[in-house]
Amino acid sequence: MNIVAGIIMCLGGALAILAAVGLHRFSTPYARFHAAGKASPVAFLVAAIGAALALGPAGAVELAIASVAMILTLPTGVHLMFRAVHRTSAPEIAVDELAPAERLAEAEED
Amino acid sequence: MILVAIALFVTASAVATVRLLLGPGLAERIVALDVALICFMGALACYSAHTGSTIYLIAVVVLAIIGFTATVSAARFLQHERSGARSEALDHQEASS
Repeated sequence: MNIVAGIIMCLGGALAILAAVGLHRFSTPYARFHAAGKASPVAFLVAAIGAALALGPAGAVELAIASVAMILTLPTGVHLMFRAVHRTSAPEIAVDELAPAERLAEAEED
Repeated sequence: MILVAIALFVTASAVATVRLLLGPGLAERIVALDVALICFMGALACYSAHTGSTIYLIAVVVLAIIGFTATVSAARFLQHERSGARSEALDHQEASS
């Protein structure tokens, strides 16, 4: 069982490296956030599954609490970061479907 | 095997820290810090599996709950700090085109 748990944890570590390399390789802020916001929680989840296999029920409960908290909160944070970047910097992407909707909302507010 | 996993997580954390130091903007730095924090949490989970004690998992739970508030507050700060910068950029773009 320990070998299986170790292999799963190594898989999680490889995913974490992919997330960190994605931060460097992508060109626009949106693509970088995408790599960071999707791959890193999956990396933690895979590592948590491996650690839960190695630790047994006592550790699995705490790891499950941590995983659920991360799945609920991390996409929200990264989404807010996306929105802050979209509102504060000049558009540098080919297709921007959010900008017309935001302009419409501003016009309705006025 | 578990030590290899810890080494992988620490390497990922170091790569994200390089982005934190180099990053072109504040948003990139914050997200890089987030990735480094998650890699640290993964390394902590692997280390507790290595030692066989669950005492480190409390830190993992607390980081999972608290780490998100830092990103949210930084995003709100970024938005208030530069509100209006986007409309200025759009005006500039329309004027030049």
